[in-house]
Amino acid sequence: MRPIEIAAAGTMLTALVAGLVVPPDAVQGDLQRIMYVHVPSAWLAYLAFAVTLIASVAHLVTKRLDWDRRAGASAEVGVVFTGLALATGMIWGKPVWGVWWTWDARLVLTAAMFFVYLAYLALRRSVDDPVIRGRRTAVFGIVAALQIPLVHFSVIWWRSLHQPPTVLRPGEPQIDPPLLFALLMAVVAFTVLYVALTRRRVDLAAAEDRLLTTGRFDEPVAGAAIAAPASKEAP
Amino acid sequence: MTIWRQIAILFRLQLRDEMRTGEVTAVVVPFGAIALLVIPMAVGIETTLLSRIGPGLFWAVVLLFGIVVTQRRTAAASPAHRDALSLLGVDPAARFAATALASAILLLGFEIATGLAMIVLYDPVVVGWGWLAMVLPLVALGLGMLGTVAGSVADGRGPLAPLLVAPLAIPILLGAAQASEGLRLGVGILRWVLVLALVDVVLALVGVLTARPLEGTSS
Repeated sequence: MRPIEIAAAGTMLTALVAGLVVPPDAVQGDLQRIMYVHVPSAWLAYLAFAVTLIASVAHLVTKRLDWDRRAGASAEVGVVFTGLALATGMIWGKPVWGVWWTWDARLVLTAAMFFVYLAYLALRRSVDDPVIRGRRTAVFGIVAALQIPLVHFSVIWWRSLHQPPTVLRPGEPQIDPPLLFALLMAVVAFTVLYVALTRRRVDLAAAEDRLLTTGRFDEPVAGAAIAAPASKEAP
Repeated sequence: MTIWRQIAILFRLQLRDEMRTGEVTAVVVPFGAIALLVIPMAVGIETTLLSRIGPGLFWAVVLLFGIVVTQRRTAAASPAHRDALSLLGVDPAARFAATALASAILLLGFEIATGLAMIVLYDPVVVGWGWLAMVLPLVALGLGMLGTVAGSVADGRGPLAPLLVAPLAIPILLGAAQASEGLRLGVGILRWVLVLALVDVVLALVGVLTARPLEGTSS
């Protein structure tokens, strides 16, 4: 186990304890604790897709495949956390808004961002050659990043059911200090987890590319030593 | 030969191809009109509601059928075609610009034809023709560029291109729908026009700057 993975496990445990021991919200009670998963997941979606953008630009400039692998790995982890943000948002929305889903700008645009990066992953899978894949997905990774500011500012630009930014806003955060502390712990823990997952996925992608380029498909595999019984020839 | 001359020649050839095949004018435009005709059957004959939601449905049809326009056969370049253009010294950025412009012109025609069909069928309140004269070309240009980039990225993988375009076109769809809603309510729509213009500028930069890296990635 790598040090970053041990750090991820430790910070996740600390964040879990912090999320459970801080007092409940004055209005929503314990239901609000879902925020400690929902907000960090949404933050990771932004972070992961921003890293995909930076790595895509870096790949186009340097033509180094490790940047392409970072872009792909980050997008993959980002899609998982966007899905988690959507799912926890729906679970939170049902008791608060009375519906699982509503045609709110933030919700629709987050779902659109989820589909954009699913398309990005589909594009990655559709090309085998790492060099061609790298260039095509880098272009798409840059265009896809158009969604990120749109999702973040949607609650300001449109009349929205979703609340406006509480922490990342001009002026003081609109949240009590103990709750803010638990939230920041969760954000740190999720970020460390993101780094650990992405690094592991980058290594896996490098191994996949090595397998593709070294062409070891003709080597014997398990079971190759077993020969079929010889057919009896006529005397 | 300057890049502008290359763009002009390729643009003219693409439109001539379309005139010969009639892929957009004879197939996609009637199909879009049929979609506008069929949708009320799902909504019912409540004419007030149809008049209210008509412009929104129009933009949804423009987005979905606009993808078909940008992925038309005449916009696709085979690897042999691309190699020939490269050997002739045609700049990949010129090829992107010409294809995107041709798609935008065809999309504008599609918007006007289906827009007229929407007005006839749904009878919406249409105001601010001057603003609409800015919004329609901006939407056409944005979809044209997005479709051209997606076509290059997907490179012949037919079902993949619509999946790449549709969610990415949401900023364009939102800008257009909010602009027409703003016109109906009589509020300022300058910021939505600016959003559309900004998206177009970003797409133009991405298209031109990535045309060369995408060149030679056919598989």
